[in-house]
Amino acid sequence: MVLEEEIPKFTAWIGPALVSWLFVAGLVAVFAAALAWLVQSALYGPLAAGDRVYRGILGTLADLAGMSPRRIWALARLAVQESLRRNVLVVLGLFAVIVLFAGWFLDPASVNPGKLYLGFILSATNLLVCLVVLVLSVFSLPADIKAKAIQTVTTKPVRTGEIVLGRMLGFALVGTVLLALMGAVGWAFVVRSVRHEHELLAADVLEMKAEDGSITGLEGRTNLARGHRHRVELGPDGTGRTDTVQGHRHAVRAVETVAGRAYEVGPPEGLLEARKPLRGTLRFLDRQGKPSTKGISVGAEWSYRQYIEGGSLAAAIWTFDGVTEREFPDGLPLEMIVRVFRTYKGEIEKGIAGSVRVRNPSTGLQSDPIYFTAKEFTIDSLLIPRQLAATTTDGGTRQVDLFGDIVTDGRVEVVLQCLEPAQYYGVAQADFYLRRGSGSFVANYAKSCLGIWFSMLIVTALGVMFSTFLAGPVALLAALSVVLVGQFREFIQRLFESQVTGDSKIVPGGGPIESLYRIVTQTSITLDLDPNPAVTAMKALDTVLLAPMRLGAAIFPSLSALGTSDFLAGGFDIPWDLLGAHAMETLGYLVAFFVVGAVCLKAREVAA
Amino acid sequence: MHAEPGTSRGAGDQDVIVAARNLSKTYRDFWGRSKKVALKPLDLEIRRGEIFGLLGPNGSGKTTTMKLLLGLIFPTSGEALVFGKDATDVSKNERIGYLPEETYLYKFLDAEETLDFYGRLFDMPPEERKRRADALITMVGLSRDKKRQLKEYSKGMTRRIGIAQALINDPELVLLDEPTSGLDPIGTREMKDLIIDLKKRGKTVIMSSHLLADVEDVCDRIAVLHQGELKELGRVEDLLRVTDVTQIRARGLPAAAVDELRAVLQRHGAADIEIGNPTTTLEELFLEVVRDTEARPGRRARQADRNG
Repeated sequence: MVLEEEIPKFTAWIGPALVSWLFVAGLVAVFAAALAWLVQSALYGPLAAGDRVYRGILGTLADLAGMSPRRIWALARLAVQESLRRNVLVVLGLFAVIVLFAGWFLDPASVNPGKLYLGFILSATNLLVCLVVLVLSVFSLPADIKAKAIQTVTTKPVRTGEIVLGRMLGFALVGTVLLALMGAVGWAFVVRSVRHEHELLAADVLEMKAEDGSITGLEGRTNLARGHRHRVELGPDGTGRTDTVQGHRHAVRAVETVAGRAYEVGPPEGLLEARKPLRGTLRFLDRQGKPSTKGISVGAEWSYRQYIEGGSLAAAIWTFDGVTEREFPDGLPLEMIVRVFRTYKGEIEKGIAGSVRVRNPSTGLQSDPIYFTAKEFTIDSLLIPRQLAATTTDGGTRQVDLFGDIVTDGRVEVVLQCLEPAQYYGVAQADFYLRRGSGSFVANYAKSCLGIWFSMLIVTALGVMFSTFLAGPVALLAALSVVLVGQFREFIQRLFESQVTGDSKIVPGGGPIESLYRIVTQTSITLDLDPNPAVTAMKALDTVLLAPMRLGAAIFPSLSALGTSDFLAGGFDIPWDLLGAHAMETLGYLVAFFVVGAVCLKAREVAA
Repeated sequence: MHAEPGTSRGAGDQDVIVAARNLSKTYRDFWGRSKKVALKPLDLEIRRGEIFGLLGPNGSGKTTTMKLLLGLIFPTSGEALVFGKDATDVSKNERIGYLPEETYLYKFLDAEETLDFYGRLFDMPPEERKRRADALITMVGLSRDKKRQLKEYSKGMTRRIGIAQALINDPELVLLDEPTSGLDPIGTREMKDLIIDLKKRGKTVIMSSHLLADVEDVCDRIAVLHQGELKELGRVEDLLRVTDVTQIRARGLPAAAVDELRAVLQRHGAADIEIGNPTTTLEELFLEVVRDTEARPGRRARQADRNG
């Protein structure tokens, strides 16, 4: 799983973030009041405009203070009834059809079917739920205004804030029920889809014998199930585990029956998990063994992973804090995602050999290497035992205790090296971790649905906000535009940077006008256009067009950033710190959209 | 200048429920250019307990005036005060009931749900909502149809549930926009009786209509609007009284007395003398037929056959 940035502690950032949010909210409010005054001045003159804006602000504050939960709930109930009248539950039928036919298109023999099924089901749920609440929320208020039903509501002591909040709440309730139902069906679909059993026949198991004829172990292969089979290596007593294929393995044990020995293969392990990692910080040593801030880049590609050269002194060193004997009484359960970059093919079926050592960060005492073979696309597990061998200065070997000699003040270093010359290991900080245990997969799935719920809330609020001053179809387009700009936030930011600095390497191809020109003239995006007045004008126009998009990208929410399906599909427990951050971000947007919606509706003549 | 929302103004005369001062409305286009002058500056005061009629042809500014008083639209100039508060102040709505020209209700609700919904908007507790809804449904005669969705209602029934929602909060001021529009004569009579009953209970009623007979029957005072401008304002009987004509009505007068009366009038120099039997209104005739038919089913039909 990719984790490009560390997840900060909720308590560490919430205070400053709140101050920052209030400051920005204050600035926006002042700007909005100034804009309202300018518009009103043009119509009624500066003095009357000032009076109107002043009354508007006071009226809005009085409205907010006078909101009643009973009225809000009445309007929310109305929104729910309206949704049911519009046959919103039909979408559940559509979802059922998607789930029923998903099995035709999803390949059970993929590298990680759990990830595939989870990704698919969560994406479908997210898309359907958000789309439904968006359509409901953008069309509801304009329809009421058009049908004039709003006139019988606004002539009651109803605050505009109550109308906006009631609708947000009502449609959010509808979305929540849909999400809960789809989530439950999706969970059942995923669990049923990945569940499978293998058989291991006694005839498929061969004994491995030593030179003296004693049985050292057993090996064999399971049958084919859901597009894969496992290699099995068992002890002489017939117990052991399969190898890891498609992100999981099985426990195997021998059972003596009247017909002879048979083997029982357990359920898949590691397929639907919620690993709880203890992550460390990463630094590198270069090929001469000197400290370096980063590893080797193996090409002009994504720099998330850095590479260390095999057969040299290059190493990746993780420092873990908070390692206690109480938490890890049996040793350190190290889990590793090691990418391999081969400069020659070698024996492709075989992994690339490497070693791991643990080191005392204070004394420098380190264990002897523990050897392993890195396989691509799987998580390698390695238990670093309590008792370790360490080479002494005189070349001898002595036993050291992990917690007595290596771990100091809860801190320990893990050193990774690649052993095969001219081959490379690629690692990122999040790729090595100590496994603290496992959370509940169901709870993790629910947490992931919470991410979809946050997106749904934002979409609902966005739709209602736009519907307070735009007609239904226009509000739909506006809300979709905001979602799209938020979705491509980083791209727009880099595109704007590329535009203003003139550095076409950041994002080649230019802004919208230049891109259109290149499409029409079939000019490659890597070619610089010949400078002439027309090109200059085109680029200037692009900058003008990109500026508001850049501003929007900085302000609008990115729904994909609220998603946590990567954690779930990758088999990692979704951290509460991350959910807390997403919850606060969502709340911030909800408050903003609510206030904008309430003010816009108040300023609108609903019977004009 | 406007005062703060919610502050009481015009407190000098506590009986003035509604006041319009220099109130005007001009609709503008997107660019702020004047598109239509819907209401020219209007000065008006409506007092507690009176039935006030806004009279005028279509497009005369009646509904615009009403919407301005309700805060549904904002004035271009001047101010509208209701209970001494700015018309845009929603707290005034606690004491107001409003029946729009068309009954714009939520068609997917039934009568009980409709009144429960509007009761909630007045922050009424559940028991009070139930009590008020039951009483109003009985009052407007929808007890048998209270579980039907409003989309199944006839126009008359929709109008009745509309008036029920307007009265859910037992308002002090009731605004009725074309209250008899679309109603049959019986419904019209019931509506007019209801308006008079509201007055008896001390309510203030403002109604707009272009049906002159309705306004004449129930209103104490009227304002006649035309092309967005106030043309007449005053008590109905004052406005309708023809001061230079004398009317004498008597029952059981013999023909000789009629001739004698005519001679006396001529002797005193009266002009345009008309003596004859008055006619009733078509509305009265229709209501009498319906009442009689309900009391003795079939009788009128047989009489009509005989006459035919």
